[in-house]
Amino acid sequence: MSKEPLIVIVLAILVCLPWKMVSQTDSTAAKKDTIDFYDMSLEQLLKMRAHGVPNELEKLINSLISVASKKPLNTRESPSIISLITADDILKSGARDLIDVLRTIPGLDFGVDVEGVVGVGIRGNWAHEGKMLLLVDGLEMNEILFGTTQFGNHYPLDLIKRIEVIRGPGSAIYGGFAEYGVINIITKQGEDLNGISTGGIYGQGQNDYLHRNAYFAIGNKVNDFEYSFMGHMGDGQRSDQDYTDFYDSTYNMARNSNIKPNYFSASLKYKGLSYRWIGDYYNTSMKDGYGDVVPGIAVQETFRSTFHELKYVINPNKKLSITPRFTFKSQTPWSSKSYTGKEAYNRTATRALGNLTASYNLNRYVNFVLGAEYYQDKAMDHEDSSYFSNGKQEVSYNNYAFFTQGLIKTRPVNFIVGARYDKHNVYGDAFVPRVGLTKKYGAFHFKALYSNSFRAPSIENVNGSPDSLNIKPELTKVAELELGYKLGRRSIISVNLFDITTNDPIVYKTDSNNADIYVNEGGSGTKGVEAEYKLRFKKVNFSVNYAFYTAANKKQITDYSISNASSDTSALLAFAKHRVNFSAIWNPTEKLSINLNASLYGSRWAYTSVDSTDTSALEELPSTVLLNLFINWEPVDGLNIGLGCYDILNQKFNFIQPYNGYHPPLPGPSREIVFKLQYNLRFKAKNRKVVK
Amino acid sequence: MRKKPVIVNYKATAIALLLLCGSFNSAKAQETDYKAYTLFIYNFMKYVEWPEAQSKGDFILAVMGDSPINKELQALASAKKIKGRNIVLRKCATVEDTYGCHLVFVPNSKSAMVKTLKDQTKDKPVLIVGEREGLAKKGASLSFVTEEGDELKFDINKKEIEQHQLKISGQLVSLGTLIN
Repeated sequence: MSKEPLIVIVLAILVCLPWKMVSQTDSTAAKKDTIDFYDMSLEQLLKMRAHGVPNELEKLINSLISVASKKPLNTRESPSIISLITADDILKSGARDLIDVLRTIPGLDFGVDVEGVVGVGIRGNWAHEGKMLLLVDGLEMNEILFGTTQFGNHYPLDLIKRIEVIRGPGSAIYGGFAEYGVINIITKQGEDLNGISTGGIYGQGQNDYLHRNAYFAIGNKVNDFEYSFMGHMGDGQRSDQDYTDFYDSTYNMARNSNIKPNYFSASLKYKGLSYRWIGDYYNTSMKDGYGDVVPGIAVQETFRSTFHELKYVINPNKKLSITPRFTFKSQTPWSSKSYTGKEAYNRTATRALGNLTASYNLNRYVNFVLGAEYYQDKAMDHEDSSYFSNGKQEVSYNNYAFFTQGLIKTRPVNFIVGARYDKHNVYGDAFVPRVGLTKKYGAFHFKALYSNSFRAPSIENVNGSPDSLNIKPELTKVAELELGYKLGRRSIISVNLFDITTNDPIVYKTDSNNADIYVNEGGSGTKGVEAEYKLRFKKVNFSVNYAFYTAANKKQITDYSISNASSDTSALLAFAKHRVNFSAIWNPTEKLSINLNASLYGSRWAYTSVDSTDTSALEELPSTVLLNLFINWEPVDGLNIGLGCYDILNQKFNFIQPYNGYHPPLPGPSREIVFKLQYNLRFKAKNRKVVK
Repeated sequence: MRKKPVIVNYKATAIALLLLCGSFNSAKAQETDYKAYTLFIYNFMKYVEWPEAQSKGDFILAVMGDSPINKELQALASAKKIKGRNIVLRKCATVEDTYGCHLVFVPNSKSAMVKTLKDQTKDKPVLIVGEREGLAKKGASLSFVTEEGDELKFDINKKEIEQHQLKISGQLVSLGTLIN
């Protein structure tokens, strides 16, 4: 008999013996644990879960979110197409700013507007001007003169607890800025901070620095009192590449495209009463103006906003909650001195808003929400005493709204129906109902949703609309269907279809006197599919998503379409029809993570030149891959050190203007080496007592 | 020119898909944690009072039909006692089998039996615990509920409990939801 089998057996015994001993020890310990387990207190009993300790994926998909329904529901049953990003996702990805985070969400993309400002698009549609609502802890960030939000080195990523994105309409809850979607950023508050958090980022591009930011936050919860304060400041640059306009004027964007965040926030909370203040002073410099290179030194532009919120959550009984809420915001966006081709812009707008929302749980299965809202907008031009259409330096508008929602959970299906009615004193009313069916059946879930939504004309839209044309809200109808399936405990796949139709969109034009005007004209929309797969093991996380849209068989706004250059009119300007995002995270140890992620863009259309008649000409830009690598290491508890490389392939991704505005694509950053530091000092260790 | 036909190797694709599915299936679906249910049942036994006559001898815990909870309840019976009394687990096939039991657990698959159980044990000191949500409304004394976020809770039908001559402690009532 050969000795080999014997050796194998001996080796097997040697290998198995220690395990057996460990196993016996475990068994004794397990028995003791079992006895201890039954002696759990009644209070601890309340923390028990029906399906045991959830893994990372289960925690994510079982997260309760209220952005889509006011009443908290898990992501698989929430009545919207939802994407959720956690603080851990952000930390491990090494994202430099919100653009890096949001471009990983299916359907979300970015383009350039004017004056170096980058805005958001969704499902192929340019949503920058009042079509996508950005909330920070429930406070509306969109400036109210045009409805825009500004992306790129703006908001403090390290202080974000979670981002919830509705990739579909939200007007039935949030009104006129949520026509195509909602980005809800939830920041870390006193209890989350439980001490001090500080850190920063330094990013070096090929030609110059691209990010150098720092932040500081302090907060805690003591009994019923919770407080927090945070500050985030820095200096970044949109790009370190050359920008060339249609007439071959050029400049290097290094030191000419600064984006400087100065973001501060304070919150106080005592039981149901809370006060919140945010100061957001976003300072930029640019030379791209409205497309033509601005001669001389870079133009300084500021977006200054302050926000206040006072809220009181009253619970007369277990079933009813009533929340009066008052917010005030003052914004001076797009503020710059005059430069070649443009007059100075210096206007301030304020919005004072009162909201009363009641939520009533008839029982565990039926919930009603009822609310009313009133706001008054005021705007003032600091330069021109007769700027506004009333011939004065100031203008004032008001709006009231009523909204309602019913949620009924039954064994076969959850049924949600809601509506919002808005009445504005100038542009009239908008009524947007919505209906949705959702349910999870074990591993499978579905959502069937139909919503109307609207975009409220902003102050400048109303002011820039000739009385004879009578501007009104643009109305959108969206149908969505999502199917999802959990493939075991650690992976989930979901696919959704969407169809968006916008009637009478508000478009910018120039009249016969070459004056800027806004009118309702034509139609627009897209349809498409989005798919997402997530796999989360302890050591390896993997996710991939795909997004596709087409504008075929939809009305198109001439300035947004590519019809004068291509017979295939299914694509729209700036946004790739096909997008893939991929992320793989390997955690060799609990303290170390290595993340390789990529964004793949199909071809995109852009205006890149003018012909001999000074007519802008379209070009199809080739596919692009943005490949990034980031390593995060936590050498001691609370200290995170990160090093990575963004745009490894040095594709120098550019931002395309999604309309024919004579603005060539704006170069983005070059390959960037990123160093990040984060330190969290806890005032006291959290109660780590594990229930099970 | 005629295009060269694309040859799809369906067999290889099918095998690859099967392997892929196999790898997914190797991970278990998120299963019900019957240990958590058992812990609740143990506390029901502790915080419900049975009449004097039923407070001596073994505490008989019954389960209607087959259920994965049996294994966990057996572990409980081996490890713990109720006020010095042994816990004895009994598997029941019919309502008659439950006579003499202190607590009857009705698994999901036997939910339809709750009404019969209620009618036939009307005046008997037995606590009927339903696994399926909503059974407290159909005659169970207590029934489990999985809240949003997967938290395990329970509904209380106090009227039924009292009809069965049982007393539930205020502490336990404060943890559950009274349906009447």
